[in-house]
Parts: sequence; structure tokens; C-alpha cells
Amino acid sequence: MMSPAALARRTAPVFACIGLLAIWQIASLALKNDSFPTAIEAIRAIPDILGDKEALINILASLRRMAIGFGVAVLFSIPLGLLMGRSRAVAAFFNPLLMIIYPVPKAALMPIIMLWLGVGDITKTLVIFLGVSLPVIYHSFEGAKAVEEKMLWSGAAMGLSPLQRLVRIVLPAALPEILTGCRTGLVLALITMITSEMIARQSGAGNILFNALDMGQYDTVFAMIVIVGAMGICLDAAFERIRARLVRWSEPQFDLPLSFS
Amino acid sequence: MKVVPSRSSEWVKPVTPQKPASAIIEIDQVSQVFQTSSRKDHLALSDISLTIEERAFVSILGPSGCGKSTLLYIVGGFVSPTSGAAKMKEKAITGPGPDRGPVFQEFALFPWKTVLGNVMYGPRQQGVRAAEAEAQSRALIEMVGLKGYENFYPKELSGGMKQRVALARTLAYHPEVLLMDEPFGALDAHTRTRLQNDLLNIWERDRKTVLFVTHSVDEAVFLSDKVVMMSKSPGRIRQVIDIDLPRPRRRSELLLDARYQKYVVDIERMFDESDEAGSPS
Ligand SMILES: Nc1ncnc2c1ncn2[C@@H]1O[C@H](COP(=O)(O)OP(=O)(O)O)[C@@H](O)[C@H]1O
Ligand SMILES: [Mg+2]
Repeated sequence: MMSPAALARRTAPVFACIGLLAIWQIASLALKNDSFPTAIEAIRAIPDILGDKEALINILASLRRMAIGFGVAVLFSIPLGLLMGRSRAVAAFFNPLLMIIYPVPKAALMPIIMLWLGVGDITKTLVIFLGVSLPVIYHSFEGAKAVEEKMLWSGAAMGLSPLQRLVRIVLPAALPEILTGCRTGLVLALITMITSEMIARQSGAGNILFNALDMGQYDTVFAMIVIVGAMGICLDAAFERIRARLVRWSEPQFDLPLSFS
Repeated sequence: MKVVPSRSSEWVKPVTPQKPASAIIEIDQVSQVFQTSSRKDHLALSDISLTIEERAFVSILGPSGCGKSTLLYIVGGFVSPTSGAAKMKEKAITGPGPDRGPVFQEFALFPWKTVLGNVMYGPRQQGVRAAEAEAQSRALIEMVGLKGYENFYPKELSGGMKQRVALARTLAYHPEVLLMDEPFGALDAHTRTRLQNDLLNIWERDRKTVLFVTHSVDEAVFLSDKVVMMSKSPGRIRQVIDIDLPRPRRRSELLLDARYQKYVVDIERMFDESDEAGSPS
């Protein structure tokens, strides 16, 4: 049996989605604009897209690039961030570089990268990689910096070498913070995935969306927006479940399973 | 039973430079200078020489900021002194090692490990086989009074319980010297008293060498064979006092013991005198 408060908390996201769709429907009916289909029209177009083999291949190609870009970025950024957090010299070297890259919208680098690497998978995956890296590096850095020195000393007294301390003390101690960065990175991966496909049309979910826009198929455009949004929510919720399991030991925090951090 | 000397000067001895045969730790003319932003070159420790005998319980007692922690960190090898040297069994201390086990006021447990995981960490690192390390660790957890909490995470424990785990975690890898930095400083009075009693029971069983930092006169006298009194700005050793009280010590008996009371009163008086002479603390 769920308490009324728990029931309200569980069902709140569902009500939020229904509320949003209702506002959309009303706004669309009121505006009577061709380029703004109603929620019902857009949702009716979803099965057509998902039933189309071509479209599915496109979406899966997008997800594959996103997974690779995200995975490589995480594997690269966590060690770098941790090293930066524990070594002033490493931080002093990489900080200016990251400060230069930080404010540049990663998609703005696309045209240049396309000149070098073409319009294929490598370019798009690289842009996703860049988008994900910064928040993961930043949070790993902050997490590593905050590790209590006495914890490292305790490890040193037990005979752990500096590398062992980095892997077996700094990494787990910083894990809650690292995973916060990864979660932000995951949402950014989805965003850069779509923008990269907007700039280099060729395949992918973004390609379907912007082609439909060019051809004035507005129900498809909005259906794709709903699909991408749903993908974001599902990925975030799945990631949050993994995160919560991995850091069960950490101090309890107030967290929302469907927040859009 | 020995007669209590009536004059404090009879049992208050100055630091003796000669080293006894059973010395385990020797601190030789150690000074520590810290660069600070406001006052450049702050002399935290000035010319400290101290010998700690094997199996002795030695307390370092002094006001906050007199360099107690710094001295302990130097013995632990976590900090290297600006000048002078510390030796453990005639070998210069150049870094941390499992022969010197720290217990910090902040506990510094590994929060991602359970109580058992924390206590097993040291033995596993030393290459003890998992089954054996687990059996030893379970026994230690029972010894510090935490049987039944093996699978709890640190966040699920009270401060006193965390410090018990920290003690067990350090005892688990059998350091020859325990380095305890105000281990009960963050605990409430009741918990603190219980942990003092338990520490004494454990210590009286296997008598490791203990270097114990505290700013509590009661605590130092109750636990120690020897109390090293420090004064601050710069951090110096004022006096080393042998605490000649019988063991095993029982808190309830000791509090009524005139000799115990005299040690406490005399030490407090000496600190008061230095406060009047020096700056207010
Ligand atoms: N890393 C450091 N940098 C600068 N000053 C320090 C540092 N560590 C300690 N000090 C200073 O040295 C003095 C002694 O500190 P500490 O050993 O912590 O004293 P205690 O443990 O007796 O309170 C204090 O004045 C403190 O501010
Ligand atoms: Mg201190």
C-alpha cells in the first residue's frame, strides 16, 4: 500500500505530461496555424515514424553515435578530471585549454571538423564527445578535489601507492559527483546528437526532423520532437536508476528521478 | 604502593635527551614552519625532541594550535618537517607506512565500504587472504563493540560508532604504533567516556605503543603513562610528566583517587600559569 504522499509523488510526472499535452492541444486549436499541429495530430504521426524501417535505421544510427560519443567521453574525462583534481600541475596545464573550449557551442565547431573528417559518423561522434567531456571533466575534478585528505592518508598508511589511491580511494569517493556530471553529459549528448545532424544532414533522428521541416510536414516535425523528448526522459530515468544503485552508500540527498539537470 | 610525592617538582621531569634502550620513536630537534598569507613563516613547532618508549601510552597535551596534530603527522610521515628528523626503530621516517596506524578526529572512513569492508581494507592490502581477513575483521568488530553492524555503511552509524570502526580498521593491519589525533574530540561527553574506557581495555590487553593527541587534561591523565605538555606560539614541549597510576585503571576508582586528582590539578595549574604569562588563548 502506498501512502497518499508517495502516490502523489509517483503520479506527478504523469500528470505533468498530460497537462503539457492539454495546453499544447488548446494552444494549437486557438492559434489555428498550419505550422503548429495539435498534440493529437503529432502523436498520431508517431506510429508512422516508428513503423518505418528507414526511420528506425536513422534513429538507431543516432543512438549508436550518441552511445559511442558518450562512452568514449566518459572513459576519457573521468581519469583526466580526477588527475586534475589531485595534481595542481595537471590542473594548471589543462585549465586554460578547457576554458577556451568551454564557451564555444560544440556544434559551432562542426563545419571545421567536417572539413577535416567529412560529414560521416566520425565528425558527429566527435562533436558529441566534446559536448559530453566538459561537464564530466568538471564534476570529476570537483569531486576529486573535495576528497578528504585524511582518507587518502589512511590509505597511504595501509600501503596504497599513489596510483592505487587514485583508483581505489579518489575514484569511489568522487563517484557521486562524477555521476552527476555524467547525467548532465547524457542530456548534452542527446542535444549535440540532434544539432550535429541538423548541420550535417545525412542520417539520424535530427535528419528526419529537419527534412520534415523543409518539406512542411509539421506533424512529423512535432512527432519527432516528442520522440526525442521521450528518449531523453527514458535515458535520464534509466541512468538515474543506475546512479542511485551505485551510490547507495552516500549521504542521502533529495533527488528527483525525472529531473532535467 | 608508591607514596605520592607532595611536591610537583619531584615527579615533573624536564625532557631528557638520552634515549632509553626500548625507544621506538625518536623525534630529534624537529621544527616546522608554515608559509601563511597573513603572517609569513609561522613557526608551528620549534625544536621538538622527544623519545617514545615501546609499549608506552603517551599523550601530547596542549592548547589548540600548539602543533599537536602537526607533530603527529610528522611521526605518521604525512608531513615532512622543515628541519630535524623523526625516526621509527632507528630508521628515518620518510613517508606513511603500516607500522604506524593513524586514527583521526574526522574518522576518515571509506563511505563506500561497509563496516566489514572498511576493517578488511588494510589486511587485504597487505595480502592477507579474503577468508582470513574477514575472520580477523569480524573478531575486531566484535572487540570494539559493533557486532551486528558488519554490513552497515558509515552513514548509518553515529559518531561514536564511526570512531570505533576507525579504530578497528587501524588495528586490523597490526601497526606497531597507534597515532591518535583527538580521536574522541568530536564526540559527546557520554560517548567519549565510554570510548576512553573501551580503548583502555583494548590497550591493556595487547599494549601497543600509542601516541595520543588531546587537549583534555582528564583524558590525558586517565589514559597515559606519560603526558607531554606543549605550549603554543611557537609550539614547544614544556614538560614531560610520568603518570604513575596503577593499571588496569578503572574510571570510577580513579576519579576518587587523590593521586589522579593531583595530577589533573597540577597540570591544569601549569597551563593557567603559562596563560597568565603569555597571550590569552
Ligand atoms: N598546512 C598548514 N598550513 C599553514 N599553517 C598550518 C598548517 N597546518 C597547521 N598550521 C598551523 O600550525 C599551527 C599548529 O597547528 P596544529 O598542528 O593543527 O595544532 P593543534 O593540533 O595543536 O591544534 C596552527 O597555528 C595552524 O594554524
Ligand atoms: Mg589538531
